[in-house]
Amino acid sequence: MSASQSSSFARRAAWAFVALVLAVAAVLPPFYLSGYWVRVITSLLMYGALASAINIMVGFAGYPALGNIAFFGVGAYTVAVLMVKYNVDFFVALLAAGVLAGLYAALLGRAVLRLRGAYFGIATIGINHATSEIVTNLDSLTGGGRGTIVPFYPGGIQEERMFFYFLMLGLMLLAVGTTWLISRSRLGYGLRALKADQEGASVMGVNTTRFKVIAWTVSAGLTGLVGGAYAYWLSFLEPPYVFDITMGVKTYIMAILGGAGTVVGPVLGAFTLELLSELIWGRFLEAHMLVLGIVVVLVVLFIPQGFMSLFAQLAATLKRRRTGEVRADG
Amino acid sequence: MAQVPAAKDALAPGKAHHGTAAPQRQESPLLKVEQLEVAYGEVQVIWGVDMEVYDRQVVALVGSNGAGKSTILKTIAGALKPKAGRLIFAGQDVTGQSAADAVRRGIVLVPEGRQLFAGMTVHENLLMGAYARRDGKRAIREDLDWVYSLFPELVRKRGQLAGTMSGGEQQMCAIGRGLMGRPRLLLLDELSLGLAPVVVDRLVEIVTRIHRERNLAILLVEQDLNVALAMAERGYVLETGRLVRAGTAEELLADETIRTAYLGI
Repeated sequence: MSASQSSSFARRAAWAFVALVLAVAAVLPPFYLSGYWVRVITSLLMYGALASAINIMVGFAGYPALGNIAFFGVGAYTVAVLMVKYNVDFFVALLAAGVLAGLYAALLGRAVLRLRGAYFGIATIGINHATSEIVTNLDSLTGGGRGTIVPFYPGGIQEERMFFYFLMLGLMLLAVGTTWLISRSRLGYGLRALKADQEGASVMGVNTTRFKVIAWTVSAGLTGLVGGAYAYWLSFLEPPYVFDITMGVKTYIMAILGGAGTVVGPVLGAFTLELLSELIWGRFLEAHMLVLGIVVVLVVLFIPQGFMSLFAQLAATLKRRRTGEVRADG
Repeated sequence: MAQVPAAKDALAPGKAHHGTAAPQRQESPLLKVEQLEVAYGEVQVIWGVDMEVYDRQVVALVGSNGAGKSTILKTIAGALKPKAGRLIFAGQDVTGQSAADAVRRGIVLVPEGRQLFAGMTVHENLLMGAYARRDGKRAIREDLDWVYSLFPELVRKRGQLAGTMSGGEQQMCAIGRGLMGRPRLLLLDELSLGLAPVVVDRLVEIVTRIHRERNLAILLVEQDLNVALAMAERGYVLETGRLVRAGTAEELLADETIRTAYLGI
């Protein structure tokens, strides 16, 4: 009893130490690194947030929301239009971006979430294209195909770097925190059940339609927030920039690479893929998609459950070895 | 592992019937199916089915492959909507109810082919069965202990992913998950499907024990007439979507046409 207590104390202390190191590691970069690296890490954080957001749909509910990037575009244009046309403060516009993207998903979800599997995935791609067309044709409001210039961040270059770094960090933590809450909630169990077996879940009393709509609304709301932040960061918007299906598929792959349905997996996947992309593929612009394709094939072949499954396997092996030792002692 | 006293719990979920001492056949049935018709799109598969299940009774629905047995169970459980006819449960018209509503009323389906949640552990699967319950953690905990006492093999496997167990263990887990919903009416779809005879015997024994300890009503669907009538006191025979016979287990087993059609003797 006391042995298990002390080991649980040791484990808690170890977790606290890891958390402290991570917190310090998260705060330090913008103070010490060059502008280039701060920009790279800011984009890692952004992709971490996007991968976490899509994971709620893909990993928990099991719906391949390939076109989820539509909500990124909706969020981005909400911030742009509100700031340019109505002089709204950035943070108010950002909040509106999240709410609007969430409402958009809730509205579409009732109809589109009747589709399953690949059909749903294709429908979301259609939604992305349609939304992009709508934004392009609302010329007077959005600037249409010519694009629109979002007001610059009012402050020095160093300050601006800090601002966007901590903004994206905050959004990523929000996405991961939301995922963590979902994973422990009734909603999370309901989603996992409907992912495994929709009919089975419904005969257990899970209101499948409502849960799917809630999951998509949350996922879209988070994606919209990140899109809004991106618009302010980029400061120039054109529909193809933010309704970019390649970007959407990339976040999808990141979530799966890290471990669909896990809490921190998508962040690991996002960091790995985006860092690779920055370090290597930046020099092979033409072969970029080819390498992405190869990564997908390798992941499916060798770690279909993502990075997090490797950690789980490692933990299981260590545990077996430890209990094996105990048995040898006794 | 404290076992829940059967007597205390026998009537617990059945408020409407609490204190009714009248003989079973004189009270109104727990479930009444009236002129039920079900169609998949344009294709109608169930035609004018009438059935009754009384409280604390085990009833079998037998018939050959494709007769529509599972369709009837799914309709009772709210997973399918009837085309015509009525479903009355505990005196209330529940025609067209959603699956979630059915579970809340105490109608729990153990689906054909188990349909466990493969990505969840055995323990999580059992807890999913209690998903719609609102009667508190303690009551759920008690039922969990009871389910584990019915299926001791699941205790050792509680942390294992449900999809990795043998067929028999999966069926035990599926029955356990159904029981966790604290049903008044348990719907068992093809208990024996794809299982070894020795496992089927074990499950028959356990279903009998469940019925004895909890006194719930059970409607079970089987292709195997022997298995079905070993558990049930009454049975209905379904042929291509229509009921062709109804009677007590003895009557059905004595019926010459049924014996030749379903037992091959």
